[in-house]
Amino acid sequence: MIKEPREVDLSTKSEPWTEQELADFRKIMQGIKSKNAKRKQRMVSGNNKRQSVR
Amino acid sequence: MENQYDKGLDFIIDKFTNSIENTLTSEVFDTEVVRLSFVDAKQIKKSNWQFNWHKELMDNTKEVYKLTTVNNPTIIQGLLSIEDKHDHIFMHLIESAKFNKGKGKAYFGVPGNLIAYACKISFDKGHEGFLAFDAKSALIKHYEETLHATHFRGLRMFIETNAALRLISKYFRT
Repeated sequence: MIKEPREVDLSTKSEPWTEQELADFRKIMQGIKSKNAKRKQRMVSGNNKRQSVR
Repeated sequence: MENQYDKGLDFIIDKFTNSIENTLTSEVFDTEVVRLSFVDAKQIKKSNWQFNWHKELMDNTKEVYKLTTVNNPTIIQGLLSIEDKHDHIFMHLIESAKFNKGKGKAYFGVPGNLIAYACKISFDKGHEGFLAFDAKSALIKHYEETLHATHFRGLRMFIETNAALRLISKYFRT
């Protein structure tokens, strides 16, 4: 469990992000998502190779 | 087309952990998160909350969730307002109940629990755990250290896939 310190209240009110901020964020997000997809593909092909060896 | 479920979690979530802890007794309580609709507005007394949660409930683009203990579902421990931005979840508001604020707070773990739930929704919707939000400047470092959130710019922050998985594994039994 994440225990916030007694004197810290983790409340948040977000302001709308600008179009530019969203566009920049989406670029970073897409980069991470494509890395995730590649990693997943490597894991799947590794598993397939191991199965075919057996 | 990519299957939505390929982007989801690799394990089955069946229950929340005992995820809030009494600050005085260290007793741990099972919790649940339930979506609220406008008809549930009377559950939220305006005077008990800093933010205008009734306004959130009236906004169809947003989803509002309450965190309660399983044994006492009428007492709201914290509230969360999120929006599906189609490739990520945007967290508009998160607030602990009055009695969970300040040095005399009754329970630890309310915000972490709700943020983990928002990440779970992000996976459920095929957004790979991505959650974007603003942080108070004093809390940016804290969010980086405790939630493994990424500081984007100014007050803007986000939680990416690996950080979301870490959070979910802390709060959900598999």
